[in-house]
Amino acid sequence: MTDPVAVAPGGAPAAAADRAGSRQWRMVLGRLARQPVTLCCLLYLAVVGLAAVAPGWLAPHDPWEVDLPNRLAGPGGEHWLGTDELGRDQFSRLVFGAQVAIRASFQSVTLALLVGIPVGLFIGYLGGWWDRVTMRLIDIVAAIPTLLFAFAIIALLGRGLTNAMLAISMVFAINFARITRGGVLVEREQPYVDAGRVLGLSRRRMMFGQILPNVAAPLVVQASIFLGIALLFEAMLSFLGLGVQTGQVSWGQMLDDARVFSAEQPLLPVFPGVAITLTVLMFNLLGDGLRDALGRQGSAGPPWGRDGRGSRTRWWRRGAGRSGEPAGPSEPDDDGDQAGRAQAEPADQRVGAWTTGGVRSLLEVRDLRVAFPAGSQGLMTVVDGVSFDIGDGEIFGLVGESGCGKTQTSLAIAGLVPVPGQISGGTVRLAGRELTGLSDREMETVRGPDVGMIFQDPLAALSPVHPVRRQLTEPLRRHLGLSRAAAADRAAELLDLVGVPDARRRLDDYPFQFSGGMAQRVVIATALACEPKLLIADEPTTALDVTIQSQVLDVLLDLRDRFEMSIMMITHDLGVVADVCDRVAVMYAGQIVETAPVEQLFTTPRHPYTADLLRATPHPDQPGDRLPSIPGTVPSPDSWPAGCRFQPRCSYAVEACGEQAVPLVDGIRCLRHQDVADMLSAGVYR
Amino acid sequence: MGKLLLTRLASLVPLLFLVAVFVFFLITLMPVDPVRQIAGEGASPEQLEALRTELGYDRALPVQLLSWLGNAVQGDLGTSLFTQRGVVESVLERLPVTAQLVGGAMLIALLIGLPAGVYSALRAGSLADRAMTALASLGLAMPGFWLALLLVLMFAVWLGWFPVIGYTPFGDDPVQWARGLVLPCLALGVSSAAVIARQTRSAMRDVLQSNYVQALRATGTPRRRIVYGYALRNAMVPVLTVIGWELTVLLAVSFVIERVFGIAGTGTLLIDAVVRNDIPMVQGGVVLIACIVVVINLSVDVGYGLLNPKVRPQ
Ligand code: SF4
Repeated sequence: MTDPVAVAPGGAPAAAADRAGSRQWRMVLGRLARQPVTLCCLLYLAVVGLAAVAPGWLAPHDPWEVDLPNRLAGPGGEHWLGTDELGRDQFSRLVFGAQVAIRASFQSVTLALLVGIPVGLFIGYLGGWWDRVTMRLIDIVAAIPTLLFAFAIIALLGRGLTNAMLAISMVFAINFARITRGGVLVEREQPYVDAGRVLGLSRRRMMFGQILPNVAAPLVVQASIFLGIALLFEAMLSFLGLGVQTGQVSWGQMLDDARVFSAEQPLLPVFPGVAITLTVLMFNLLGDGLRDALGRQGSAGPPWGRDGRGSRTRWWRRGAGRSGEPAGPSEPDDDGDQAGRAQAEPADQRVGAWTTGGVRSLLEVRDLRVAFPAGSQGLMTVVDGVSFDIGDGEIFGLVGESGCGKTQTSLAIAGLVPVPGQISGGTVRLAGRELTGLSDREMETVRGPDVGMIFQDPLAALSPVHPVRRQLTEPLRRHLGLSRAAAADRAAELLDLVGVPDARRRLDDYPFQFSGGMAQRVVIATALACEPKLLIADEPTTALDVTIQSQVLDVLLDLRDRFEMSIMMITHDLGVVADVCDRVAVMYAGQIVETAPVEQLFTTPRHPYTADLLRATPHPDQPGDRLPSIPGTVPSPDSWPAGCRFQPRCSYAVEACGEQAVPLVDGIRCLRHQDVADMLSAGVYR
Repeated sequence: MGKLLLTRLASLVPLLFLVAVFVFFLITLMPVDPVRQIAGEGASPEQLEALRTELGYDRALPVQLLSWLGNAVQGDLGTSLFTQRGVVESVLERLPVTAQLVGGAMLIALLIGLPAGVYSALRAGSLADRAMTALASLGLAMPGFWLALLLVLMFAVWLGWFPVIGYTPFGDDPVQWARGLVLPCLALGVSSAAVIARQTRSAMRDVLQSNYVQALRATGTPRRRIVYGYALRNAMVPVLTVIGWELTVLLAVSFVIERVFGIAGTGTLLIDAVVRNDIPMVQGGVVLIACIVVVINLSVDVGYGLLNPKVRPQ
C-alpha cells in the first residue's frame, strides 16, 4: 500500500487510502478468480443458496408428504435419493434442510459480525478501561465450551433453533471482537491513523472508514470458516433435539431419524451427512482461498526466490541442485535472457590474473551460477558466473550491498542453496575435490569437517528449545565419533577457546540466555568443532554491537592462526574488510566487479561501485560526518540492465556502457576503469 | 517449574470466580423468568410464587449472588430439580466416562495427526502431501456424530466387530470395555486428528525454513537427525496449543457422540437437564465444565513450559 501520509493534507489521505483499499480488494478478487477450487466452492454454495432461498423451486416433492407404501425406499425412480421411515422424499427434505442450515449460518454469523466488529474496534481504538473489562469478559466466555453455552441459553430461553443459534452467535461475536481488536492494536500505530487524527476525522470515521478496511482481511476469512462451524452446530443441536422443532427440516434432525432406521435402510444416514460435510467443506475451502488471496506473499525462502510451496521438491533438496537435477538449468530458455547474456563472456577471461598469487588455492570457484525458477520466465539467475580463489590461511572478503548475490554464492559453495534454487553452472573445488555434483548425503561429510559456516543472526542459528550443548556436540559426535562425555568435554574446551566465560556450566544454558556476542561465539565454536579448512562467515558481526563486533573479529583472527584455516568473509561493511581481510572481491548484481588485495582496494579503487562503497563507509578519523549513501538501489535479478549492470547508478557512465555486457578483465569490470582510477587518484569525485 | 505451576494456579482463582459470577448473571439477567421456565406452561401464579420462594429466586439479587458464590466456594453448585442430588456429585459421577472418551479420542488424534503432519511437511507439494491436506479438510468438515453413525452401521451392525451401543466399565470386563470405546473414540478423534495434522504440517514447514535448521545442515547433520532431533520439538510448541483447544472441543463434542452410542456420560446428564428445564443443573454443570476447561488450559501451559525453556521462570 502506498503511504497515505505522504499525500497532501485536506482529506486527501483518506481518499488515497480508499483508493488503495479498493485497488487491493480488486486484486484479491482477481486472485480468487484464478483459484479453481474457490470457484467450485462458490458454484456449490450458489446452488445451496438457491435451495435456501427458494426450496420449493428445486424440490420435486413436498418434504412432509407421507407415502407409507414407499417407506424406506432406496434411491432411484420417483424418489431420487429414496424415502425416509414415513415415505417422505429424501431429496426434497435435503433441499428444505438447506434452507434451515444456510439461514442459521448466515443469521448467526451476520449478527456476530454486527456486534463483534464494533465492539472490537471500540475497545481496540479506545483501549484503557473498556479494553480491560471486555477482554476479561472474553476470557470468561472462552472458558465455557460453545456447545455448553448453547445448552445454558436453550435451558433458559427454551428449545428452538433461534435460541440455539443466538448462543452460537454470541460466541462468534466474541471471536470477531477479539480478532478486530488485535488488528486495531496493530493499525493504531500506523502513520495514517495519526494523520487522520491530525486532520480531525471523527472517531467514527476513523474506526469504520480508515481502520476497519485494514483489519478486514482476517475477519473475512474467519467469517467464512464460522459459516461452516455454525452449520455444524445447527446440525449438532438439531440432532440432539434442541435445535429445529416440528414444522422444519434440518439435516441434523434427519440424521437423528436415520439413526433409528439405518439398519433397515443403510443409505438413510448417508445423504444428510454428505450434505453437511460438503457444505462445511466448501465454507472452509472458501476461507482457505480467501486467506491465500488476502495473504501477503513470500515470507519463506530466499529474498527474491519463490517459496518452496507447491514445488514437488523435498525440503532437504535445498542445494541438491548441485547433484544435477535434470531441469536443464544450463540450457537457458528462449526467454531466459539472464543466462543468455552471461554467456557472452568466455569463462577464462573472467578468471583473470587475480588468483591467489603463489599461495596454494584451498578453494577454487569457477564460473559459479545460481538460479531460481521464476514462473513463466524460466530461470532467474542470481549468481552469474562468479570465479575466485581462496588461498590457504587467507581471509577473503566478499563485499557488496545486500541483494548482490553474496549469500547465495556462499550457500552454493556449501551446497545449501535453498530449494527451488539450484546451482546452474560452474564448479567449486575445495582442496582439489570437486564439490558440485556431490549428493546432499556426500555433502554432509564435507560440511562440518571441511567447511564451517557462521551466520548473521547467531540467536536464530541455535535451536531455541535445546540447551546449546546439544547443537555444539552434534558435529563432534557425528564426525569425530566422540562419546557423549568426551564430546561435552571438547565442547567446553571449544567454548573456552572462543572466549565464553564459565564454559562448562554454560553448556546447559539455552540460546535465549546468551547475549548476541556470546551466542555468536557459540555458533563459531559449533562451526569450528571439526576444525574445517574453510570457514564461511556471512555477515558475522552485522547484528552485534560495535564493541562486540571487534571482539568477535579478534576471535576469528585468533582461530585462523590456531587452526590454519581460511575464512571467506561476507559483509557489506568495508570497515570489517579493512580490519581482517587479505583480499577482497566486490560483488554487484550477481557478478564480481572488482577484486584486489585489500590495501590496493582501499588506496586505489578502480571500479566506480567500489569507490562509492568506500565513500559510504564511516571513517574512524572523521566521526560525525554524515555519510553519503549510494543513490539508487541494487536492481533485482529480473531487471538487470543490459549493459554494465551498475550503469543506472554510475556517475561515470558513458553511452558505450549500456551497449553490451562488460567483461571482467584483470580483476576489474568497467569500461572506463583507467579514467576512473585517474580521476579518483586526482581527488576528483563524481 | 513448580513456581510456574503455582503462579498459574493462583491466576485460576479469579478467573473461576468470574466465571461463576458470569453464569449467575447469565441466568438472572436474561429477559425470561427462570421460575416460569422451570414450572412450565400451565403453572398458576400461586404455584409460581411458591416455587420462587422454594428456589430462593424471591431474594434480592445481591443476596442470591452471595449465596451462590458462598455455596460454590464450598463445592456446592446447586441441586438438580429432578433427581434432588447435588450437581457436583452428579457430574463427577459421570465424568470418568467422559474422560475416557476424550482421552481415547485424543490418543487416536495424536497417533494419526502427528505422523501425518510430519510426513506431509517433509514431502511438501508431493502427492502424499496433497492427499493428506485433502483428507484433513474432509476430516474437519465431517460432523463427528455422522461419522459415528456410519462407523456403527459398518463395524457394529454389519461386521459385528464392536458393540452397537453401551459402555462396559473396565472393572466388569476389560475386553468389552476396550471394544466399546473404539468406535466412539474414533468418531470423536478424527476431526482432532485433522486439526493436529494441519498444525503439525505448517509448524514443521516453518521450522524447516528456520535459520538453525540451516546452521545444523552447515555442520553436516543428516536430515533425519535434524527433523527428529531438533525440528520436531520446536514444531511441537505451536501444536501443543492446538492440542489444548482440541481437548476442550472433544469434551463438548463427546456429549453428542455419547448419544449415538447410548453411553450415559456427562453429556447425557446435561442434555437431559436442558430438555427438562433443570436450570440449577445446567447452571452448575456449566461452571463445573468451565473449571475443567480451565484446568486443561493450565496443563497445556505447564506442558508449554516444559517444551519451551523461554517461558519458564528463571
Ligand atoms: S562500465 Fe560504465 S557504467 Fe559501468 S561502472 Fe564503468 S563507467 Fe560505470
